Amino acid sequence: MSQPVQKGNYDHIIVKKPSAWVRMKKYAGFYLMFLPVVVVLFIFYYAPMYGITFAFTNYKPNGKAAQFVGLANFQKLFSDPTFWSSFKNTLIISSVNLVLATVTSVVVALLLNEIQRAMVKKVINTVLYLPHFLSWVVVASIFMLLLQPNGLLSQILYALHLIDATSLEQTDWLTQKNCWRIVFYVIDRWKEIGWGTVIYIAALAGISPDYYEAAEIDGANRWQQTLNITLPSISNTILVVFILNLARVLNIFESVFVLYNSAVYSVADVIGTYTYRVGLKPTVGLPNYGYSTTIGVFRSIVSLILVIITDNISKRVRGYGLV
Amino acid sequence: MKKNILTKAATIAVALLTVSGLSACGSSKQDVALIDADGDGVADEPESISVMATTILTENNGHAEFCAEYERLTGIKLTIEKPEHNQYYEKVGITFAAEEPADVIELGSTYYPSYAAEGVLWDMTDAWEASDLKASGIAMEKYIEGMRTDGDVASDPEATQRIYGFPNQRGNGTITYVRKDWMDALGIDEPTNYDEFLEMLVAFKDIGNSEVEDAHGVSFKEKYAGQQIYPLTVAGLISTESPYEIYLREFYQDARPDIHYDKDKGMYIDGVLTQKMKDTLLRIEEAWNLGVIDPQAISNKTSTCRDKFQSGIVGCFNYWAGTWNRTLDKNLQQKDDTAVMIPLPSFDMEKEYYIERPAIAYVITNFCQHPEEVFENFILYSHDGGEGQLLFTHGVEDVHYTVDERAADGTITKATALPTMADSNTEFEKSFFDAALSITEFDDPFEIDERITNSLAMFDADSILYELPIMDSTVAEQLPDVETSKQQLLSNIVIEKMSVNDALALYASETERQRSIIYQTLNGDYDEASVEAEIASLVSD
Repeated sequence: MSQPVQKGNYDHIIVKKPSAWVRMKKYAGFYLMFLPVVVVLFIFYYAPMYGITFAFTNYKPNGKAAQFVGLANFQKLFSDPTFWSSFKNTLIISSVNLVLATVTSVVVALLLNEIQRAMVKKVINTVLYLPHFLSWVVVASIFMLLLQPNGLLSQILYALHLIDATSLEQTDWLTQKNCWRIVFYVIDRWKEIGWGTVIYIAALAGISPDYYEAAEIDGANRWQQTLNITLPSISNTILVVFILNLARVLNIFESVFVLYNSAVYSVADVIGTYTYRVGLKPTVGLPNYGYSTTIGVFRSIVSLILVIITDNISKRVRGYGLV
Repeated sequence: MKKNILTKAATIAVALLTVSGLSACGSSKQDVALIDADGDGVADEPESISVMATTILTENNGHAEFCAEYERLTGIKLTIEKPEHNQYYEKVGITFAAEEPADVIELGSTYYPSYAAEGVLWDMTDAWEASDLKASGIAMEKYIEGMRTDGDVASDPEATQRIYGFPNQRGNGTITYVRKDWMDALGIDEPTNYDEFLEMLVAFKDIGNSEVEDAHGVSFKEKYAGQQIYPLTVAGLISTESPYEIYLREFYQDARPDIHYDKDKGMYIDGVLTQKMKDTLLRIEEAWNLGVIDPQAISNKTSTCRDKFQSGIVGCFNYWAGTWNRTLDKNLQQKDDTAVMIPLPSFDMEKEYYIERPAIAYVITNFCQHPEEVFENFILYSHDGGEGQLLFTHGVEDVHYTVDERAADGTITKATALPTMADSNTEFEKSFFDAALSITEFDDPFEIDERITNSLAMFDADSILYELPIMDSTVAEQLPDVETSKQQLLSNIVIEKMSVNDALALYASETERQRSIIYQTLNGDYDEASVEAEIASLVSD
C-alpha cells in the first residue's frame, strides 16, 4: 500500500535539469550575441597578459628570443633608489590629487546644483568642461608661458611685492622643487574639475525632491539639507568613483611628463615617467621591455592591493563594497 | 529556417574575424627575389627594397615621386616608411621585436652601436672594402671608418671594430651664433677666449638700454622696450644624449661628461667626476649667477630656443652649422631685417673646439634577404657622386628642382630648388641627405648659399670628429640612472644653489653603484679604493 501523498510536499517530484548542452542550444542566440564580446575580451585583454612573462626575461627589441632571467628584473627594480623615489612621488602626487579631485568635484557639483537658472548653469558647465578637451601638451604650453620668468604669475607676485626684481626675471616656477607639486595640483584641477563633476551632477539629479520638501517643512536650512540629504544620497556614487579612480592612481604619466624637468625629478618623477625614461626610451642602448614590464607588473599588483583595501574598508564602514 | 541561416552566417563571420585577426599577427615579410635588371644574365638586383628613416623628406613632399624616380633609374621598387620623428626609435624597436624590420634602417649614433652589439646588423665591412666607391677614391673615408664598432662579440669574437652602418652624411655639429649688430652697438670685438666671451654676454644684458640706432634709425632701447633679453639661450645645461657637451662649448671646453677612455689614466672613467668637468660647472655657475644664461635653460626645448633666437631677443645661441645657419638667419631677418648674426670661430683647438658628432648610420638588417645587393643598389648608389646622389640629395627633377643648364652629354650642370610640395613659401632642402654634408666628392649642380658654406667651412676648421659612444649591454643598463643624476647635477647647482663640490659629491654618491659596475665591466679589475679616493679629493678641494 502506497503512502498517502501529503498536501504541499513536492519533494518526491524530481525535476530533471536539462543538460548544459541543451540549455546552450536553447539560448544559442544569446550566446552568439555574447561571442564577439568574449572574442574581443580574449584577444585584447586576456591574450596580451601573456606579455607578463616578459617581466622574467631580458626582452629587448632586437629580433632575438627573450632570455629567461628569473627574478633579476625585480631585484634590479627593488634595489634602485630612483625607482623608490618615483614610487613615493607617485603615491604622494596621486593620493593628494585623488582627494583634491574628489573634494573639489563634489563641491563644484553641489554649487552647480544650487544654480536655478538653466541658461546660467549650462554656460558655467560648458566653461568648466572645456579645459578637459585640451590636450596636456597644449595645457603645458599655456602654463609654461604663465609660469616662466617674467610670466603672469611672476608679474602678479612682483606687483604684490612678494618677489624681487631678480626673481621676477630669473624664476621659472616649473623648476622650483618646493612649489612644483602645488603648481601641478592647480593645473590638474583647472583642467579636470569640470569633467569630474559630470557623474556627481547626474547623481544629484536623481535625488527625490520629496526629501528636500520634507526637510524644509521640518525647518532644515540649505546647509543642513546638504549635509543630511544631498551628501548621503550621493555617497554611493562618491565611493564608486573613488574606488575606480584609486585603481588608476598609479597610472599617472602624461600630465607629469609634459610639466616636469630635470630640476624637479626628486619631487615629480613618477613610476610612469621613470618607466619611460629608463625602460622604454633610454638615451643610450635599446629599450628594455623586460624591465619595463616588471615595473608594469609591480604597478598592477600595488593597484590591485589598493583597490582591495579600499573595498574592504568600504565593506566594514558601510556594509558593502564595489567588488 | 531563416533563423538558422542567420545564426550560421553570424557564427562564420565571427570565426573569420577571429582567425583573420590572429593570422595578421603572424604574417611574415614577402620573399624578395633577385632580378636581372641589366640583362647580362646575372641576377644582381633585388625586386624591392624597404627603407625606414626619419630625417628624410616628408610624405607630402613627394615620397611617391621619389620612389617612382628611384624605380625608373634602378628598376627596383622602393618602399619608404617614415614614422613620426619623436616616435621613430620606438617604431624601429617594434619592427625588430616583430622580426619584420625594413631592409635598410636609419640609426642615430647612440642607437647604431647598440643594435650592432646585439648582432642584428649586417657586417658591410668586406662589401665596403671591395666596393667601386672605395676604389674610386671620391669617398671621405674617415667618416666611413668612423662607423667601426663592435658587433655581437659574445657570439663571434671576430666581430670587433667592423662596419655595420654607412654614414648618410657627415655627422655635423653645432657652432656658436652671435648677434653682430649687438656687438657693434656695444662696441665689442669678436671674443677670442672664455673671459672675453663672458664679458660679451654680460654686455648683452644691457642691449636694451643702448641708445645706438639700428639701420632704420630705431634705438635698441626703443626696439627692445618691455621685452626680456636673453644674452644666451640653450635647451638644457647638459645634453640628454651623447655628445653631452655639444651645446655650451665655451663652457664645457675640453671636459667630456660621458664614460670614455682616459689615455692618461689608462682606463675608462666617468668624465663627470674630473677636474675639467668641475671647472666647467664653476663656469656655468658663474654665468648663471651673472644672469647671462636663459633662466629657462633647464626646461627649454630646442624649438623654444630657436623661436627665441629667431624672434631677435637672444644674443648668443649654439646650434647646428650649415643649413641651419641659413634657416636661422632667414627667420631672424623676417622678424628684424636689421639683425645680423654670425658664426663664431672656436677659441682654441686644444681646449675650446667644436664637436663633430658621429654620423647617422644607414644599416642593413640581418633580416634582409639580399644584403650585398641592397648595399650596392641603395647605399652605394646614394653616394655615387652622380645621378644616384643627385636623387638622394636634391630629389626629383621638376618635382623638387628645376634644371637650368645641361652639358652636351645630358649631365645637369646647373639646377635650382623648387618650393616644397607642402608649402610654396619654403624651398625644398633635401630628400635623404644634405648635399653640403656629402661624404663624397660630389659635383653638385646647385649653388649652395654662402651662409651654409661659410659656417661649414668654419666648423670644419674648428671641430674634432668624436668617436661612437661606448656600447656594452651591461654598461647601457646602468646608464639611464647615471643620466638622471647628471641632469640633476646641473639643476642642483643653478636652481638649488648647491655648491659645485656638494653637487658633485651628491652625484658621486648617487651613481656609486652604477659606477662600480661600469668600471668593472670596462676596466676589469681596477683599483676601486684609489678611484674613490680621487673622487673624494675632487669634491672636497
